[in-house]
Amino acid sequence: MPKVLIVDDEPFIRLLLEQTLEDLEDEGVELITADNGETALQIIRDEMPEIVFLDVMMPKMNGFDVCNTVKNELGINGVYIVLLTAKGQEFDRQKGIDVGADIYMTKPFNPDEVLDKAKQVLGL
Amino acid sequence: MALVTLEKIMKKRAFAPVLHSIVAALESSVVIEDVEGKLLLATYGAEKGDRYPVSVSGEVVGWVSGSEKAASIAMLLSCQAESEIEKRTLASEMLTKYKEITLLYDIVEKISSCLDTKEVARLVIEEARRVIKLSSVSVLLLNKETETLELIGEFGHDQEQPTVSWGVGIAGSVLSSGRAEIVNDVHSDPRFVEGVVTICSLMCAPLKAKDTVVGVIKLGSDQPVTYTAEDLKLFTTLASLAAVAIENAGLYEQLKEAFYTTVYTLAETIEKRDPYTGNHTKRVMEYSLAIGKNLGLSEQDMARLQLGAVLHDIGKIGVRDSVLLKESSLNDEEFEQIKKHAVYGEEIISRIASLQSAIPGVKHHHEKFNGRGYPDGLKGEEIDITARIIAVADSFDAMTTNRPYRQGLSLDEAFEELRKYSGSQFDPEIVDAFFAADVMEAFFAANSRQKIIL
Repeated sequence: MPKVLIVDDEPFIRLLLEQTLEDLEDEGVELITADNGETALQIIRDEMPEIVFLDVMMPKMNGFDVCNTVKNELGINGVYIVLLTAKGQEFDRQKGIDVGADIYMTKPFNPDEVLDKAKQVLGL
Repeated sequence: MALVTLEKIMKKRAFAPVLHSIVAALESSVVIEDVEGKLLLATYGAEKGDRYPVSVSGEVVGWVSGSEKAASIAMLLSCQAESEIEKRTLASEMLTKYKEITLLYDIVEKISSCLDTKEVARLVIEEARRVIKLSSVSVLLLNKETETLELIGEFGHDQEQPTVSWGVGIAGSVLSSGRAEIVNDVHSDPRFVEGVVTICSLMCAPLKAKDTVVGVIKLGSDQPVTYTAEDLKLFTTLASLAAVAIENAGLYEQLKEAFYTTVYTLAETIEKRDPYTGNHTKRVMEYSLAIGKNLGLSEQDMARLQLGAVLHDIGKIGVRDSVLLKESSLNDEEFEQIKKHAVYGEEIISRIASLQSAIPGVKHHHEKFNGRGYPDGLKGEEIDITARIIAVADSFDAMTTNRPYRQGLSLDEAFEELRKYSGSQFDPEIVDAFFAADVMEAFFAANSRQKIIL
């Protein structure tokens, strides 16, 4: 069963992303959510989701650290990581590349873009 | 239950373990099926006993069967389903709002950086088409002089004709009232004026800048649709954004016009002192632009080339009449005086922020490609492209016009001179561009109009 992991410390963003990707559930995709970086990392290790929507600004372990651990330290390459950054907030593109993110999107995210990206990665 | 199914609820990561442990704790037979009879869970050796419905808002979404203990599972599932539905309903509503915000966010970004009225109209039409079901949209601006509405952008055919003035048709009515309206059945509205294309429903919103209505935006559907208050709200927001942007674009146009008028007037003032040069500025500008166009300069470079060409001799205001207007040849001291006009020109315009880009063209239009020009003796590409262009245009015009102390050269003789000094006085690439450009057209354009026209 293909999996999509949604990581954001803000509950309403998680809910919005879940709702955006809800149709995928009908295609047999499981949507998993996590509200912090540490839990996210655990889920990625244990369950290897196909795609992760990962917020950058989170307390404790931020998105850059999670991504860096997954891609560079653990060398997990089968997980497609989408970094979510807040508009207006300084985003270091180079850092995004360095930590191995596959793509980044800015919030407010465009729901259609999010769904298209997930479908594309999942081959749906 | 359109939003969720019992199966989905039971699979929820947070809920599934709870359900399974409760079922296990009951130590009783439990069978869970969805409303279509699909088996979702069964305890080992379970036998179907009584059936208890799982229901949400009175609608059955599944069944739990087994002993009487199974009833509590049915209650738990009903409760869970109810809250899941609530969550989904809220999430779905929130997503709709979020999509609207995202859209408005995009539009604000695009529109607020747009300084062209037609482009603003195009953007608004594009966005309206994305969010509202419609078959046509039109943006109409009020022409204050004629008091009629003028079309500045449309998609599909305009629905209502004529939509031309105050109080006429629905658009005219909105223009007068300043209030947005939904008309879901246009044919029962007495104000509607039948146009060439039949439509069923329309919405019309005023374009209001501050408190003044400057136009209207109107959309319609050729299929029967019921536009809602929500649609109107979104549409009105779009219209407000458009109105502000259109007003800004208008102000920007006025400002630009005032700026160019001032610049040209300044240049013309200088020409008035030296009547023999009559229209020199205008011709140099036309030649320069023809060369620049041939070289494929960017819009920005073309703009500063134009300003530089118009203002290239502005510094002559600082040169004494006895020197500037002298009808015989100049001595060395006098020639030094004349040469100063390049630096004077720079000094004059350097105080005006919006003319900074014209400085190189003004200060260096007497530099020579080989480094023997003035005031700085710059060489080759050290000389700004606009100055190299103006140098060719200026010299060509000086050669071909009559002066009190000499007869102008013929065109062929002037062409010959340009070729001769290409590479020494002039940048050869610019000279090539001069010959490749439609200079003759520029020549006639400049001479056919005696005044500088914007």
